[in-house]
Amino acid sequence: MYAFLTGPMFWLSLAVFIAGLFWRAVWYARGLDWQLDRVAYRAWPKEGARGAVRSVFRWLVPFGTRGWRVQPFMTVVFFLFHAGAVLAPVFLLAHNVFLESKLGVSLPALPRFLADALALLAVIAGLLLALRRVALPEVRILTDWRDGLVLALSLAPFITGLLARFQAGDYQFWLLAHIISGEAFLIAAPFTKLSHIVLFFMSRAQLGMDYGIKRGGMKGKGMAW
Amino acid sequence: MPEGQFCNKRPVNTDEELKALLGDTGGQKYYQEMKALEVDTALLWSTIQKTMKSRIKTWLSICAHCGMCADSCFIYRVSNRNPKQVPAYKIQSTLGEIVRRKGKVDNAFMHMAMETAWAKCTCCNRCGMYCPHGIDMGVMFGYLRGLLYQQGFVPWEMKIGAGMHRVYRAQMDVPNEEFVDTFQWMVEENQEEYPRLEVPVDKEGADILYTVNAREVKHYPEDLAEAAILFHIAGEDWTVTSEGWELTSLAMFAGDWEACKMQVTSVYGAMERLKPKRMVGTECGHAHRATVVEGPYWAGRKDGQTPVPSIHYVEWLAEALRTGKLKIDPEKRIKVPVTIQDSCNYIRNHGLKEVTREIISYIVEPGYFRDMSPNREHNYCCGGGGGFNGIGLYRRQRNEALKTKRDQILATGAELVLAPCHNCWDAIRDLIEEYEVPVKWSFLKPLILKMAVVPEHLKPRE
Amino acid sequence: MFKNILFATSATEASDHAARVAFNLARQYGAAVTVFHVLGVPTRGYSQVVVDVRTKESVQVDDEYRAWVVEEIKNQHGGEMKKAPQAVVEVCVGYPHREILRAVREKKPDLVVMGGTTGGDSVYKKALAGTTLQKVAKAAPCPVLAVAREAASFWGGFSSIVFGADFSKASDAAFDFSLKMAREAQCELHLFHAVDVGATLMGKIMDQDTIEGQIRESLNRIRGRYVAKMGDFKNYTMEVWEGIPSIEIVKFARERNADLIVMAHHARQADLEDSPMGSTMEQVIMRAGCPVISVNRLPKA
Repeated sequence: MYAFLTGPMFWLSLAVFIAGLFWRAVWYARGLDWQLDRVAYRAWPKEGARGAVRSVFRWLVPFGTRGWRVQPFMTVVFFLFHAGAVLAPVFLLAHNVFLESKLGVSLPALPRFLADALALLAVIAGLLLALRRVALPEVRILTDWRDGLVLALSLAPFITGLLARFQAGDYQFWLLAHIISGEAFLIAAPFTKLSHIVLFFMSRAQLGMDYGIKRGGMKGKGMAW
Repeated sequence: MPEGQFCNKRPVNTDEELKALLGDTGGQKYYQEMKALEVDTALLWSTIQKTMKSRIKTWLSICAHCGMCADSCFIYRVSNRNPKQVPAYKIQSTLGEIVRRKGKVDNAFMHMAMETAWAKCTCCNRCGMYCPHGIDMGVMFGYLRGLLYQQGFVPWEMKIGAGMHRVYRAQMDVPNEEFVDTFQWMVEENQEEYPRLEVPVDKEGADILYTVNAREVKHYPEDLAEAAILFHIAGEDWTVTSEGWELTSLAMFAGDWEACKMQVTSVYGAMERLKPKRMVGTECGHAHRATVVEGPYWAGRKDGQTPVPSIHYVEWLAEALRTGKLKIDPEKRIKVPVTIQDSCNYIRNHGLKEVTREIISYIVEPGYFRDMSPNREHNYCCGGGGGFNGIGLYRRQRNEALKTKRDQILATGAELVLAPCHNCWDAIRDLIEEYEVPVKWSFLKPLILKMAVVPEHLKPRE
Repeated sequence: MFKNILFATSATEASDHAARVAFNLARQYGAAVTVFHVLGVPTRGYSQVVVDVRTKESVQVDDEYRAWVVEEIKNQHGGEMKKAPQAVVEVCVGYPHREILRAVREKKPDLVVMGGTTGGDSVYKKALAGTTLQKVAKAAPCPVLAVAREAASFWGGFSSIVFGADFSKASDAAFDFSLKMAREAQCELHLFHAVDVGATLMGKIMDQDTIEGQIRESLNRIRGRYVAKMGDFKNYTMEVWEGIPSIEIVKFARERNADLIVMAHHARQADLEDSPMGSTMEQVIMRAGCPVISVNRLPKA
């Protein structure tokens, strides 16, 4: 079981994840249409690139846009969640040991304490995001079962990982559960809203180009969108 | 297939049809017929397949349902935070649903979608600035309006407006001769005070081609006179065109993309014919967006630019004041608390947020300017944008929506609101009437005219 | 003298007195009359909604509504309209001053007759500085006759005309018109000017020598500027008083039993807004016991 999950299944899920997201990015870019989108992408590459970079960058910085600033609770929870969701899995020592054994390469690892804290904070932030979905009428009305599923898919590897890490109960069970949920996440990513892992950058860049080329980017002072 | 006499899928293409449609007072019969109008679901779906590309598809599918757009929407805020007014909900429950059902929606659904597209969204594009994913719901509502227009589910006034552009290449029934004649009349009326005032018509190679809003010609031609006088005392080499003089586009509000193209190509035709150095448009926000920002795309211009550089009136004014072409008598500067309405259509859609402040620095006595909060690219819609002002069916909703701007204006303590946009000007006029707000409001031209220094050689000899 | 009269009515009692004068003139001169009424002000951007100037209600204007308004006008001015059975009633939508001026441009009447100012609560007033009368009087190419008071409307012909002079270019046109009227009616013409010792001096008090000096100077100017042009016309007087011009003209006209006051109204647009009480001319119209004609420019040759 363990061998299968860390063997063929690992390779399969990683391949689906990478190829799937790559395909979505390519499909997005190919589907851009200067006339239907009403953005002259090709005519103004420099202005477009500048707008795209600004747009992506400003939204990646906590409180970097007015949108973030006017909703500080959401911003804090959001960035805690995403910091944990991105940094913890990628830079976790155990993951990199595993990667080393598989690929022969590894990334630098986070100190154990920091990784634990990030993971824990991500779980707490994820639960707060779930709470927010239920508590705020303006979010509740938008929420459907898919949103719950996506959140569950994202949180499951963290929860199982932490339980395994702190050896609460059966270590083997939690480890397998962790691997399964992690691989489920990877496989689901291209087919669900988790695709925003790449499409966030694409969509933000597109709007950045829109503003950079058409909506005032060439009128001097750019605006941060 | 039930198609009404007035309410149908055919655009208005002749003057007779236009008059007949106008004759249906208040659109009573029109809306009655709409109740029986069939949805051509096959056409709807094939149109979506042809025109909905990755951008809008992705916007619809990756919306994280986070609700961060809610507070950005002034209509949501002004309707007691009704969750059904959350921008993401509004677009998901209309365009999103049409796509999910592959176009198989019924008459009742289209009625709901029409109300959502024209009475719950002014296409102010503010929500797009508050979405982490960069989803611009204003753009999607513009797209949805196009689908609804094609199916005949469009408010009566919008169908008329689009028809006007098709028949007259203007938003009102103003023939070309009437435009030229009215401009000349206005010039004559002011020649006693400005003896050498004139309106050069169809002059080739002028520095400036001036374009207007048909409403000015029809109802307040003083605006034309003011524009002429200001160009005159600024010493500009300017002209107007006898064809293609209309800057606005109700067709854009209606979602009639074919009429949008007809309209802007008439203006671009004038540019190509007269070869001015640049075009200056009147104080109108949506008109600037239609002709200068969106128009090149409708007309198929790959660089996204108009045939000659085109600027909004506030840009010309700021430049004229900056370069000293127009001089302001410091004694006559505005000395009452004053604020400015930022028009969505030239700020969130063309970035002209600082030029209006520059104008203020010349015409308002220091210390009297009070900015609204929020302002510039974060300012709220006047409450009447995107066609909202004109639709009788949604008057009640429009009047509710005006409360946002009313409260913003009252919070500044200003006694005068500058509104260099026809739509904003109308909305502010209406909110002053509706809620008895004790402020005055004005376009820039009449104010500038009162404080501008007239060069000695242009004054009448008594 | 008058062949084509445009009577611009508010279709309310405020225009009743003007109606009487308009139709009396029409009968006397055999003039054609157009009864012109701007029924509503467009509102709400490009909507079809119009605010009715009389009822202040938002209405949709269609043929039926227009026909109803025409009937209302016939009821309002029915008695007077009998004096000129060929009178035509026209209604339209727009800002009143602009539509009246547009009609003047099209129909080229030789006289516009209007009632007094309808007051501050009118629906379009807020959008524009100044009153309809001011704006029409300022821009109209032909003379504009206004009657605001009932007392000013009982009038049977010309026997005594007062010309209020202010020595401007516009005033020259008003003088030409006065003289022409006086010649035609073979009546008295009183040339009058008031030295302003009131409002415009901001409370400064002029000493009597200065006032009298200005009076002498004004008399000389009247002689030089107007009397010199009168040729063989001898049935005139001239007089210069001091005071608040609008009041003095009215007093003078009363004293001379005037049945017409002619003056120029040449306020600049900017002035309209700055004088809440209206221009001198409007003050005269409000107070005068006879019709007042504003003339700003010579008829185009």
